[in-house]
Amino acid sequence: MPPKPSIRAEEWDRRLQEVQITKNDLNRLIMDYLVIEGYKSAAEEFSQEANLAPPVDFESIESRMDIREALQRGDVEDAIIRVNDLNPEILDTNPALYFRLQQQKLIELIRLGRISEALEFAQEELAPRGEESPEFLSELERTMSLLAFEASAAAPAGISELLSPAQRMKTAGEVNAAILESLSQGNEVKLVGLLKLLCWGEMLLEERAEFRKLNVVEGSLVDSVLV
Amino acid sequence: MTSHIPIPATSSSGRAPSTSRSPFSSRSTFSSRSTLSSRSPLGFRSSVALENAISLTLPFPPHRSSSADHRSFEPRVIRAASDSSHSPCQPLNSRSSSILRPAASQSIPSVQHSTSLSFLRPSYLENSAFRQLLLLEQPLYTIPSRKLDSMHTHPSALPASSDSDDDSTATPPRDTVLPPKEYSFKLPTCWSDQDRHNLLNVSMSGRELSYQGTSCGDKDAAAARTIHPIPPACGIYYYEVEILGKEHKSHISIGFAGHGVKFSRLPGWEPNSWGYHGDDGCSFAAEKNGTSYGPTYGAGDIIGCGIDFTSHRAFFTKNGSFIGPVFENIGKDIDLYPSVGLQHAGEIIRVNFGHESFKFDIDSHVQQQRNAVWNKILTRPIDSSVLEGRSMSTTGKTTLSDEQSKGVLNKLVLTYLVHHGYAKTVRAFQKQQPDVLAAQDTDIVMDDTIPETGGMDKDIERRTRIVNSVISGDIDSAIAETKKHHPVVLQSEDHLMLFKLRCRKFVELILETTEMKKRIKTLKESRAEKRRYDEIGNGDGEFWMGEEMGMDVDDDAVGLMSTSPTTIPYNAPPLRNGREKAVSPDGKGKDLSSVDAAVQYEMALNTAIAYGQELSNDYKSDTRPEVRQLFKQTFGIVAWEDPLEAGGSVASVVSYEARVNLANELNQAILKSQGRPARPALEMLYRQTAACLLQLGTMGVGEAAFADISREILES
Repeated sequence: MPPKPSIRAEEWDRRLQEVQITKNDLNRLIMDYLVIEGYKSAAEEFSQEANLAPPVDFESIESRMDIREALQRGDVEDAIIRVNDLNPEILDTNPALYFRLQQQKLIELIRLGRISEALEFAQEELAPRGEESPEFLSELERTMSLLAFEASAAAPAGISELLSPAQRMKTAGEVNAAILESLSQGNEVKLVGLLKLLCWGEMLLEERAEFRKLNVVEGSLVDSVLV
Repeated sequence: MTSHIPIPATSSSGRAPSTSRSPFSSRSTFSSRSTLSSRSPLGFRSSVALENAISLTLPFPPHRSSSADHRSFEPRVIRAASDSSHSPCQPLNSRSSSILRPAASQSIPSVQHSTSLSFLRPSYLENSAFRQLLLLEQPLYTIPSRKLDSMHTHPSALPASSDSDDDSTATPPRDTVLPPKEYSFKLPTCWSDQDRHNLLNVSMSGRELSYQGTSCGDKDAAAARTIHPIPPACGIYYYEVEILGKEHKSHISIGFAGHGVKFSRLPGWEPNSWGYHGDDGCSFAAEKNGTSYGPTYGAGDIIGCGIDFTSHRAFFTKNGSFIGPVFENIGKDIDLYPSVGLQHAGEIIRVNFGHESFKFDIDSHVQQQRNAVWNKILTRPIDSSVLEGRSMSTTGKTTLSDEQSKGVLNKLVLTYLVHHGYAKTVRAFQKQQPDVLAAQDTDIVMDDTIPETGGMDKDIERRTRIVNSVISGDIDSAIAETKKHHPVVLQSEDHLMLFKLRCRKFVELILETTEMKKRIKTLKESRAEKRRYDEIGNGDGEFWMGEEMGMDVDDDAVGLMSTSPTTIPYNAPPLRNGREKAVSPDGKGKDLSSVDAAVQYEMALNTAIAYGQELSNDYKSDTRPEVRQLFKQTFGIVAWEDPLEAGGSVASVVSYEARVNLANELNQAILKSQGRPARPALEMLYRQTAACLLQLGTMGVGEAAFADISREILES
């Protein structure tokens, strides 16, 4: 196999310089992020400061964020009511999402130690759904096994993670995406797509050539040692 | 040679599966983007100096609208290097032959086939990120380079917004550029009159092949190929062949062949050739006995032949129906040409490389593949070693957790906002950071990231104020504030920044005098007009009344005030004497104001010249070429009666854009003096990604054609 060709640092810098991107393009990426992630007041300020028309009305951002906050503080009931207030079809047409919310509610009951309530809820609401799909069933079993461990720290990672803040965020993220979809808004942050595209592109190019890598976190190019 | 590593299709991002949403599904964009009616695929700009460039208008195809993409293409003005030897750097390319290779076959221009070139790039190729690099032919005409002058910045183009400063100082508008010549790829357009068996006749159009032999055996097979190979940057390439002969099961092979494959053999028999045969419906990949593949074909059938560079497989269609994928690892290491072989007398075929619409719905097929590639990219986890610029091969894969990704994103957004001085947004953004996040562990990506708010606010405000001063033309304030808060910026590089600012100050002074002069002229003209009117309308009582009441002074004032906003293209500082004249109660005010204006003009001009002389004196010993050059250009504007109308290199010194560019330069210099990068990380991220993808495209990585950064990230 012939050695990989190297692209000299100056040459690479020139290529970067040649890429066409305007501040307005980048501003819209920022706005996309602020809207989808629900930074309402930041989106409002940015719309002013960057002179950018808002892509959605800001109130819809707020109601999405109320729902997210409810989930993050563990108030699943409130979140479900708010989602239905916004658009009842979201949960009606999305059984997986509804199951996810019910599961979260079960987790919150267990977290609070309201065991009998949790059991009742699981038997009445979740078990019938578990029969509908093997996927639901396995999730239900996983959740129920939380009860087997007196202290959550003793549980295996795969189970105790259900009690982590990340689990709440995950549920909140799924609900957020479903709402955005119902608003015909993009639900994937463009910036995430860009990061993934970079990972993909650098991975493929790394197999074929030596070039200057970017430290995205620092925003600076790495002075690679070119052979 | 090229190894492929499998790409994990599973997502560990923990997000809801996004399969239900195509990345192209309609979504409301932020605003209508009229400026983006045309855009280069990866954002290219010719690196060649404009002076070396020629302007051309290429007949780019009007975009045939496809279901997912409704943007329209327009003919665009492009720039290309006039000097073909000027290619500062060849792209690294393992398959150099696909890039403008001066091969023997190409050195003979295909003039005899000129009629075949009168078609547009087929619309399915619009799916490729590199669409604008895919050329049907080199333009046959050129325009002398002096034409370019008129393409320089137009000073009249005024951004309405106050936030108009733009980082793309070195980047011309998208619709005026063509990718550098070294990156373009030629598409197959006709059969080669050279690269064929001599029993085959190529028609004048270059589309038809007819068999001239008499015999009917394998020994008399005759093949032909196109002049140009298929660029993998197409992503997917497709052509159709119509069978015009009489046989029901034609002894024909349709497929692909590499360079140097014998023309006395049907495609598929020889190494580096692949074909689908009409007599038995078999597929052949370098084999004597084919593999059962599809139906037989013959007279009247239209056979489509495609190659997918993302999967390295081929596919065929018959009369508009998809037959199925076939062949493995095709087109990986060698260039391939569309190739057809015939072996019976009387056989004729006609090819369609996009000359007319295709029988098969290739557009949707390619669109599906494009979506599939893009979705595959989106389901990939974000790798932390990539984000830190380390090589994946040495560190192995480390997937970022959701929280960590979020940390990276927040930092990208925050540093961007800080960079451009969006102070209020920064404050609101930080206030809204949920507690969950703040409490998250901050190891890998969040370490020293969020600067403390208090000092930063002031810093941003100050920097924004300075930048806005430059944009509004108030250079003195900008210099004073920079001197006070960021003295290093003005001093660095032997006071280069200060020099640039002072040059701009001189420009502003000159522009002021130009405006005054214009007003004097308008004044004189209106007075002459009035005098004529007075003489003609001598008997008009009403007019007399007006004159008696001293209305003329007001008229003058109105004239003065109302002409100015239309003739001043941007907010030049208002002239003080304008108002004095307007309130002059004297009936003879018009004469006075005229004299007054002339005196004021004289004074302003003297001020400007004095400033220029002082500047000249301060920098007379500075022999740096860029200083000399800017100095020369700056003083050159005096030669123009109205520099704003002059265009060309004068505009590049006096225009509003020049101010904005200077403001941006100053912003970057201040940031740099604070140890911050000149470009925000977000911008670097975009640039790096685009450059990687382009490099992949020029290296023949077909998948990169469907990773369309500007379409996916900026437009959809």
